[in-house]
Amino acid sequence: MQIESQERDDALLKRSTKGDELAFTELYRRHQGPLYRFAVRMTGSSWAAEEIVQDVFMMLVREPKKYDVSRGTLGAFLYGVARNRIMKHMERSPRDFSLDESGDAGRDSHPQLHEQMTPARWAELRERRDQVRAAVLELPQEFREAVVLCELEEKSYEEAARALDCPVGTIRSRLHRGRALLLAKLEMLREVPKRANACRG
Amino acid sequence: MRAADDFGELEMTCEEFAMTGLDLGTAEDDGLLQKAAREHLRECPHCAALHENWLALRQDLRVLGAETAEVEAPSRVEMRLRQEFRTKHKTVKTQRAAHILGWSLAAAATLFFAITWVNWRLHRDGNMAKTESNVVQTASSQQKSGPASPGSVSGGSQLGEVLVASNGSGDFTLLPDSMPPAPEDATVVRVQMQRAALEALGLTVNEEHAGDWIQVDLLVGDDGLPQAVRLPQTATETTN
Repeated sequence: MQIESQERDDALLKRSTKGDELAFTELYRRHQGPLYRFAVRMTGSSWAAEEIVQDVFMMLVREPKKYDVSRGTLGAFLYGVARNRIMKHMERSPRDFSLDESGDAGRDSHPQLHEQMTPARWAELRERRDQVRAAVLELPQEFREAVVLCELEEKSYEEAARALDCPVGTIRSRLHRGRALLLAKLEMLREVPKRANACRG
Repeated sequence: MRAADDFGELEMTCEEFAMTGLDLGTAEDDGLLQKAAREHLRECPHCAALHENWLALRQDLRVLGAETAEVEAPSRVEMRLRQEFRTKHKTVKTQRAAHILGWSLAAAATLFFAITWVNWRLHRDGNMAKTESNVVQTASSQQKSGPASPGSVSGGSQLGEVLVASNGSGDFTLLPDSMPPAPEDATVVRVQMQRAALEALGLTVNEEHAGDWIQVDLLVGDDGLPQAVRLPQTATETTN
């Protein structure tokens, strides 16, 4: 039987709970991409992200009743489970991420950069990107989540708030703090001149 | 922090710019805030530099995001999950089948024992009825042949079907095909035998008690052959 693409997640989950493998596969394919990307960006490790995604869906196979339809969408629920797994992963191996870890789409994933730039410029950009990646991975988790969702994934504040199950104001303030920390880590602030006398506040 | 409406006079502090001004040019940008932030940028070189640095960093973040924009979990994850899914649901089906089978077997066993018990009850009741009818038949025959004297033989060959001694006072049951011997030629011999041995003498025996040992008085003729039998009362009670 063909599954309609617009079929709602809870209906798919219901069928999946009854043993419909096709429904489960559809559910997995619908959600694995965003979850995997979120995990990769949060952990900086494709292996960790793979393990996290597997754990999340394994939970859905074994204990589907943990998801309560009345408490939100399945996507938000899966994000929540993934966040817990990411947190556990960080506690287990806080120094696991490194500059060399670049996931499946590694550092050579931009051939257009090869074509357009000189080797020196390319090396400079690569170094810069590595610094940014390291700075993001060193952010405290709550700030990193906001930065990953709003800056890397370019979600709106409302979407990020739904994914993290918190108010929009919380996202806004976390993002503000995350941006400030990133700028500080990347030593950009040193280029900012001392406050001019004309500056108010 | 002030609300957007409060920026009507296009005044914004550095702190306020840091909170909201970095959203300039994004979907989160608010009209009034945008105006206030742009005005502040023109007047404050510190915030202008901050904004410029932020735009560069945002560009780097977007590039970083684009690196992993299309990545997905490896297909081996899906394979593992599907395998786990199959295993889990196969186990559930097996458990359900075992559950149903168990209950079916229990029900079948209960039914079997119920039928067996009913059959046994019917069989036993049938035997009892048969025995009772034979007793009645024997009693009526005895009444026809008159009152028995001590030491005499009662009944005829038709009584050989069931061995019945009404009491231990000396009533003998004539064996089939035997003639009643003269009292002076007969000898009473008391023997112990299995009830099944009575069958050899032509008498009907209840199979359920065929293996019982009983005491029997045999009336033996002058030719040495038993002509009639008598059960002492204690044995009679267990005959049936």
